[in-house]
Amino acid sequence: MITTLTQSQILGFSNVTVRIKNEARDSRPILEAIGLQLGHGETLGIVGGSGSGKSTLLRLAAGVLTPGLVLDQGEVTTVGKNLLVATPAERSNIYGSVVALVAQSIGESLTPHLTVLSHFRDTVSGEAVDERVLESLAEVGLGGEKYLHRYPHQLSGGERQRVLLALALVRSPQLLLLDEPTSALDVSIGSEVLTTIDRLQRSRGFALVCVSHDLGVVSQISKRIAVMNQGRIVELGQTSQVLRSPSHEYTKALVSSIPKLDQRIRESSSQSNERVLVCRGLQIVRGQTTRAIDSLDLEIKQGEVVGIIGESGSGKSSLLSAICGLVSVTGGSLHDGDGYDLSTALQMRPREVLSSIQMVFQNPDDSLNPMRTVAQSLSRYTHATNSEISSALLTVGLGEQFLTRRPREMSGGEKQRAAIARALLAEPRLLLLDEVTSALDVTVQAAVMKTLADLQRKLNIAMIIVSHDIALVASFVDRILVLRNGQLVEQGSVDDVIKSPRDSYTQNLINISARRAAI
Amino acid sequence: MKTLLRFNFLKNRVLIFSVLGFHAFVALLAPYLRLLSTDSQDSAALLQGPSLNHWLGTDSLGRDVFSRLLHGGRPSLVIAFAATAISCLIGIVIGSLAALAGGWIDEALSRVIDFMLALPTLILLLLISSFFGQDPLILSVALGLMYASPIARVARSATQTLLARDFIRVARLQGGSRISILFGEVLPNVWRVMFTEVAMQFTWILLAFSSLSFLGLGASPPTPEWGLMIAESRSYMTLNPLLVIAPIMMLASLVLAIQALVDHE
Amino acid sequence: MRRVVFSLATFIALAVVSFVGVDALPGDGCTALLGRFGTNAKIDACRQENNLNDSVVVRIKDWSGDLVRGDLGYSIKRDEQVSKIIIPRLRNTAVMAAVAALIAFPSAIVVGLLLGRYPRKRISKAINQFSVIAMTLPEFVIATVLWLVLSIWIPIFPGVSVMPSNASLLQLLPNVWLPALTLAVVIFAHSMRTMRASVTNVQNMPFVESARLRGTNERKMISRHIVPAALPPVVNVVALDGAWLLTGTFVTEAAFNFQGLGRLAIDAISDRDTALILPIILFGLAVYLVSSILADSLVRVFDPRLRSSNR
Repeated sequence: MITTLTQSQILGFSNVTVRIKNEARDSRPILEAIGLQLGHGETLGIVGGSGSGKSTLLRLAAGVLTPGLVLDQGEVTTVGKNLLVATPAERSNIYGSVVALVAQSIGESLTPHLTVLSHFRDTVSGEAVDERVLESLAEVGLGGEKYLHRYPHQLSGGERQRVLLALALVRSPQLLLLDEPTSALDVSIGSEVLTTIDRLQRSRGFALVCVSHDLGVVSQISKRIAVMNQGRIVELGQTSQVLRSPSHEYTKALVSSIPKLDQRIRESSSQSNERVLVCRGLQIVRGQTTRAIDSLDLEIKQGEVVGIIGESGSGKSSLLSAICGLVSVTGGSLHDGDGYDLSTALQMRPREVLSSIQMVFQNPDDSLNPMRTVAQSLSRYTHATNSEISSALLTVGLGEQFLTRRPREMSGGEKQRAAIARALLAEPRLLLLDEVTSALDVTVQAAVMKTLADLQRKLNIAMIIVSHDIALVASFVDRILVLRNGQLVEQGSVDDVIKSPRDSYTQNLINISARRAAI
Repeated sequence: MKTLLRFNFLKNRVLIFSVLGFHAFVALLAPYLRLLSTDSQDSAALLQGPSLNHWLGTDSLGRDVFSRLLHGGRPSLVIAFAATAISCLIGIVIGSLAALAGGWIDEALSRVIDFMLALPTLILLLLISSFFGQDPLILSVALGLMYASPIARVARSATQTLLARDFIRVARLQGGSRISILFGEVLPNVWRVMFTEVAMQFTWILLAFSSLSFLGLGASPPTPEWGLMIAESRSYMTLNPLLVIAPIMMLASLVLAIQALVDHE
Repeated sequence: MRRVVFSLATFIALAVVSFVGVDALPGDGCTALLGRFGTNAKIDACRQENNLNDSVVVRIKDWSGDLVRGDLGYSIKRDEQVSKIIIPRLRNTAVMAAVAALIAFPSAIVVGLLLGRYPRKRISKAINQFSVIAMTLPEFVIATVLWLVLSIWIPIFPGVSVMPSNASLLQLLPNVWLPALTLAVVIFAHSMRTMRASVTNVQNMPFVESARLRGTNERKMISRHIVPAALPPVVNVVALDGAWLLTGTFVTEAAFNFQGLGRLAIDAISDRDTALILPIILFGLAVYLVSSILADSLVRVFDPRLRSSNR
């Protein structure tokens, strides 16, 4: 895939291969034979799972080669120059004025001891700095002088991302590179940030490359899409075409694994009238005064699957923690199906009550003891035999070879499956799932959700699944609850909530999700 | 000089392990090697240079330097091992317990740790050694107690980080008792983090005891001990520099090898 | 503010513990003065004279009252006011500490910054190795090596000092160099490595790359982004090392027979002159507590997150 370089192009990759330093030539490269062209004012989205090489590619466009990697062959031309061989002085002239990159981890991308204004002073000088900065901030939606003298820790996640955008754009670069612009933000805030980016791109006309794991994100702000898998661009084309008729297998999997509001991956199962959880007027206070959950009523029946939607700070994780006993209840009542009072401290609960409620956590890297094999982790507290463990692993789609593996030898999806198997071994009546797929790639996420659907049907256990993704929840559960600032703002069957939401917040989430799914 | 600069002796595994092996060999086997006596004084041969009889010469009392050198690491090593064991045991138990218990117990134990950290270590050791005699047992216990507080502090924060991790939460949800979580999940992981800290601690204790000996309050004469040997021979440095250079090389190679091993991990 | 009150409380608690601890040691001023040959009657008479037979509580009250009034006590053994003995030696130690600090701290911060910024240069690696060696070796080894090299082989400085404790500054200076150099090597290695590690750490943080990709030039990068973020851990280490220079230099002073506070402490301990030991311990505690308060308030200057919370 050799491309010829033309004058009108702003970014060009020709046959670029990047490898890990000192690694054998027959090993799989990080980037393999990448060919790309981007003209002035064009927009390109790059989508791929973790380890696909998409971030390496984006950084390479800015002339940064991640330490430990080498450019094996090919050439990268950014605004007519090979930035990889540029001197530091040449680079600092180009960055910000011609090319700008906004890196992924927005929490740490601003210097903690400098105010917003000081950040601008690095690169903006001369007269009327303040006016220029104010104008630039207003453009990204941060009006008012109050932001000038704030420190990063005094800004919210969305505000930080906007400040970074303003910093990148203040000197009107011709090429803007974005790495996962919304992955650390709540859905609604991320959507607003994307709208801002789109508006700025249209009005200013800079070229844009945006990298994300989320097909919905890149399709919203780019006319063309490149799909990456294992270091290769497997598909490249107009956004609408790639989405409508994907040609490569990976792209097909990617498109089909996006949760859709109107597509179910699990059919409702038989529910008995037996209840597994009853809570009335539940109140949870965390810290000194913060009400994580305020007067919540909730009832869950045997075999029922309930989804809870909420953003960070909505109290959804506090609720799960309280149900399983990790956080104490401050008001109201919380009982299990047999009437046992679940506001009892964890240590005081009898063993049957403990095992009847199990939880799977968000971060797969954290959920298994790094020093133990899967078999050891799964048997230590459940006292399960090896054959029981094997069958539990089989239920979640893991073969016998995983018995002796340690967490560092497993992928995120595999670790999460093992964590689910461990929860199952306790034979729970209620399984709590806290954002269990949010750390996984979309295709893996779909597979794990399918596994969960299968085992729910087989074992008929009640589940509460918490997520920020309304489409994911809607495709899986029987009933949806929407939490906001510790309050229940919406509750009902999937159809009711999705088709006719009563709360404007829910409506907003559905709109965002629909816009993404409608691609 | 250039090749010397390029040779990174602190990163050479073979070198590190052969130095450590040499020291282990010497410290364990010195009494069983057919060496000259460390104490017999030869008044006819004071402050001599190297010879066939005395490979590294003799000191101001006519004692064989080579033999004293090979024996000279044993007192500090024994005390360092004993004191490190004591400080680890106390430090890790107290630190993890404080983090695991939380609440007022944590608060109280943390105050005790801070309090211990503020104590002037060396002057206390000097006092203890001066007033209670230079008894290796007392010194090991004193060193172990004093050096327990930094271990406890690191163990406490390591445990706290661990307790926030999901696999500990799961263990609690599945009915693991505090004790079984402490020994099954916390301590093995804490120990892994603590290894570096403990190895450094060992070096500090070794050097603290050597320094005490140098001040005349650690090993008591005529015990051969490197710090003491350096102190005793400093006045004769002009006559026979080997008297101080040899024990310095021994001590330096030992602590540097341990340090290099720690950095390597 | 809460911090200061808390430190004061710690100090008082430690002072009482030290008094009781030192008091519990076998022997007191009278046995120290009269030695092994003092008869029981003589020792008793001496104790009567110096109020040593009072209960611990009474003596703590007397002693702390004196302390508040600035009276450090009286050494029976040396037959002198404690303050008269301590102050000239404190001056000597302070001069030595100041020389060592001036040599070591500024150079450590600059060298640490350069080493962190340019770690691949061969000279950086060499300095790094030297610093590992200097940090690992005990003071008495460094002292002995410096003495051997700079006094015996290349006679630049006098070796063992022979000055009286109350020597004039001019007499003092030549004797200060070798001990100060020894201490400087130790604290240079320590603070330089902290600075280097901190700079390396800060450089790997996303905000540094983010600033670079905005086109921030090298000069602003170092002065505005890297150094202020790298200094807090160094400030803590400098404060601790500074406290150590004033109160922990027993070995170095003994090695050069330098008439400072550390040397005095060792003498007092081997004489069992408890009246002298106690104020030295308390001085050490006070310096340690004050320096950690200073370090904490200085760190706040660099970190707005600390400034805004728990004031």
